[in-house]
Amino acid sequence: MKVTLVSRSGREFINGGLELPDSATVADLQEAIYKRTKKFYPSRQRLTLPVPPGSKERPVVLNYKKSLKDYSDEKQNKLTVVFKDLGPQVSYSTLFFFEYLGPLILYPIFYYFPVYKFFGYGEDRVIHPVQTYAVYYWCFHYLKRITETFFVHRFSHATSPFSNVFRNCAYYWLFGSYIAYYVNHPLYTPVGDLQMKIGFGFGLVCQLSNLYCHIILKNLRNPDGSGGYQIPHGFLFNIVTCANYTTEIYQWLGFNIATQTVAGYVFLVVATSIMTNWALAKHRRLKKLFDGNEGRPKYPRRWVILPPFL
Amino acid sequence: MEILHGLIGLVRSPVSSTLPQIGSRLYLTWGILWSFPEIRTHILVTSLVISWAITEIIRYSFFGMKEAFGFAPSWHLWLRYSTFLVLYPTGISSEVGLIYFALPYIKASEKYCFRMPNKWNFSFDYFYAAILALGIYVPGSPHLYHYMLGQRKRALSKSKKE
Repeated sequence: MKVTLVSRSGREFINGGLELPDSATVADLQEAIYKRTKKFYPSRQRLTLPVPPGSKERPVVLNYKKSLKDYSDEKQNKLTVVFKDLGPQVSYSTLFFFEYLGPLILYPIFYYFPVYKFFGYGEDRVIHPVQTYAVYYWCFHYLKRITETFFVHRFSHATSPFSNVFRNCAYYWLFGSYIAYYVNHPLYTPVGDLQMKIGFGFGLVCQLSNLYCHIILKNLRNPDGSGGYQIPHGFLFNIVTCANYTTEIYQWLGFNIATQTVAGYVFLVVATSIMTNWALAKHRRLKKLFDGNEGRPKYPRRWVILPPFL
Repeated sequence: MEILHGLIGLVRSPVSSTLPQIGSRLYLTWGILWSFPEIRTHILVTSLVISWAITEIIRYSFFGMKEAFGFAPSWHLWLRYSTFLVLYPTGISSEVGLIYFALPYIKASEKYCFRMPNKWNFSFDYFYAAILALGIYVPGSPHLYHYMLGQRKRALSKSKKE
């Protein structure tokens, strides 16, 4: 089968196209492109079917598992594919590992080492119990996240653009340091004992729920990595689409109730808005996919992320 | 108001270019000049005001012409999209310079500072915020200048086609 490759501007991307066996899969095509161009490894390629000019439809992305025959013109046995370079990619595991490593290492530095003398404060400081529990809670959280990255999560895309490394690490590392500075400050004012216990207790329950949510999500997908979307169900997913985000947000709320810093609450607000955006997109996608037509189940009515608000 | 217009879509300008522009104007005027009288006699105030004034006179008279007459003469368009080549560097240098020279006064006066300890475990130091503001100029100025160069290319080539 002859495959013609064009860029989005219509120019031929590989002169003369590529010749592949009729039974080849999209993955074989990706390998062939990589072999030929030497620069564009498969995770960097975005292959779509051409859309007629002026059409508002979103282009169909080629699934790497399918065979080329599923997309090609049957009679003439050829296929035109639009190529886009996604730029250098990094695997999600690597990305997550580095963005979580920052808070895991930076926060305890503020707790254990006399950094505040560089900010002009004396060496002596009283450590309140809440600050000790906070450092354990925080480190537990990020250790949990790193563990989930390697042992629990099943990613729908294997990679993310490399530029996200700088953006994501800046977000986690800067906010982590910002919060750590205030919670471990020599002039820190702790809240009452009951408030601290409620905060950490609630937060811990939410963290464990969050872990359970992640395990449920993992079990929705096949181990061979075929990805795909299913209607989540079980536990909190029966009432909330993105119960994993919900538990994550409430977990941070618990931390903030216990530690009470403006920095912590600012982080909570920013994180919540980011996750809400994701949740809305995911909810919309699931509703569109599971519309009740053609034998597909209809997506049930559920809260998106934060009952009773959204 | 200008930022609001961009945000709600009343004008086409992106928020990312109006926000730093208006932000720096407000910050310099209220946050530096009004708050720290000692800096008002600095020579950079002159260059700042002249840069801002010339820019705004050209810009608003351009809009005025378009509203009143439906078009503006080509020399006016040229002025609007060319004077920034000089006025942006002079204006930005004046802004940065004034913030920098005001730093000792900011630190000494402790104005707008909120200190620990307090119930909300929060602090704000205007001195460090000013240094952060200076830092924003480093990526911000090339971004804005680049954006204006792009605007210039589009505007002047479009008028040539007509």
